[in-house]
Amino acid sequence: MSRLSGRLAFFPAILLVYAILLIPIVIVIATSFTVQSAPTLPTDGVSLEWYAELFQNQRLLDAMVVSTIVASATAVVAGIIGTITAFGFVRSEFKMKETLATIMLLPLMISPVITGVAFLRFGGYLQIPRGYPQIILAHSILALPFVFLIVRSRLLTFDERLEDASMIMGANRLETTFNVTIPVIAPAMIAGMLIAFVISFGEFTATQFLVTPSTTTVPIIIFNQIQTGLSPEISALATTLVVIMVIVSILGDWIGS
Amino acid sequence: MKFGIGNVRLPNVKPPSMLRDRSMPKLLVMIGLGWLSLFFIIPVIVLLFESFNFGDGALLDNYRQALSGTYVRTLGRTLAYAFVTTVVCLILGYWISYYIAFKAEHKTLMLAFVLLPLWIAIIIRYFGVSLFFLPTGPVQQLFGTDFGILFSTTGTIIGLTSALLPFATLPIYNALQSIDEEYIHASQVLGATPLKTLRTVIFPLSLSGIIAGALFVYILAAGSFLAPAILGGPGDFMMANIIEQSFSYSIPLAAALSVVFTVALLILIGIFNHYANISEVLSDL
Repeated sequence: MSRLSGRLAFFPAILLVYAILLIPIVIVIATSFTVQSAPTLPTDGVSLEWYAELFQNQRLLDAMVVSTIVASATAVVAGIIGTITAFGFVRSEFKMKETLATIMLLPLMISPVITGVAFLRFGGYLQIPRGYPQIILAHSILALPFVFLIVRSRLLTFDERLEDASMIMGANRLETTFNVTIPVIAPAMIAGMLIAFVISFGEFTATQFLVTPSTTTVPIIIFNQIQTGLSPEISALATTLVVIMVIVSILGDWIGS
Repeated sequence: MKFGIGNVRLPNVKPPSMLRDRSMPKLLVMIGLGWLSLFFIIPVIVLLFESFNFGDGALLDNYRQALSGTYVRTLGRTLAYAFVTTVVCLILGYWISYYIAFKAEHKTLMLAFVLLPLWIAIIIRYFGVSLFFLPTGPVQQLFGTDFGILFSTTGTIIGLTSALLPFATLPIYNALQSIDEEYIHASQVLGATPLKTLRTVIFPLSLSGIIAGALFVYILAAGSFLAPAILGGPGDFMMANIIEQSFSYSIPLAAALSVVFTVALLILIGIFNHYANISEVLSDL
């Protein structure tokens, strides 16, 4: 088989995979610039009118603020808990360690619908206030497995003997923590926090049970608009979300490396 | 602790307290598991209790309903859709991973574009798929028909594939990438055709990636709410949609359906685990 025909065998796969992965994203972005009143491709001109519309819609702006607050709080909570847990798992040996690590991944395996329903009922019994507290706590659970996996895989490459070396060289425990341990853990934790932010920012399925009129998040608005009627405004809103998420992910990559 | 190298005695160094204190990391693990238990495992157990009927009638009344006609059909449909999605994702994922791992010149770039969608909210990607097939989208503008894809089973599967393909590709790529090229080279030198090398050398060595990918895609597809809601027709509802719908009129039924669905998934995962050790695969991530 020549090199060229060997490559040709992969051409359909390359085309299909990137089409199925990227066309949906490209089309959302493209339709946000349409001049029509329906979300068409901007073949007859480009306009920013839907973005202008977007930034005059108080309900959407409110949702944007709610989503940002929820995602930031989730990032802090899930980031800290996930990092603490990953650190503990990497640094200790105990019975059933693999099983317990798998348990940490449970929220990934149970449908978010069930997580949402269960949390709404439980939150009601425990009288956790509706709105922000319930949404943030539920999001912290949904983001936890991702933070745990990412931070754990980064900490596994951290040589524990660095700390031993630091202390043998005469640094005390506090100095070692600040000069050796934290500089290694911090980038991993920040990467975990950014993952948590992105997951929370885009979560719909569990969130739909927990939102209140004053704490409606952006994905809820997008879903409702898809159900009720299509306007390029949804594309503009979704594109704004894409931009925020891509910025956050690039930031995460940059800090992590 | 005494160190000795031959007859040279080293001073008796006492390790600093943090190094001796091995209970601290265990405490940290307990914080994580405690958080997970309080806000996830206990709520799910509470839901389990709510699925039983403690009032008039039989204890398992809600289960009788949850295991009746429509709901069982929905469960079957859910597991079947997830299966088809998994097969499609594995085929496409293996194909593209093989290319990126062994043939591509711009590996990092190609991989980055596979992973990029993971950063974008799933609802936006489903919305994009629907825009593609809507009357205002390019397919209908070009061909005058959506080929019956939108609001159908095909539409749901296309959406699920688009959303979950990265979860199949990443572990398969990692497995392929870590194969020692010497094995492949040896197989070729000994006269195996490329296809035989793939079948007898590369494929077995990448099995752990395939298993991890299959597991991820299957679980995430089976639990999907948005794909059928945005891209499916009324007959394409999956378990997540039925649970959400029933929650509005009968919480015990929604709870029973959740339990039935989770148990069905766990049984499937258990069977799968019989053939492939899942926690070993997951610990490789």
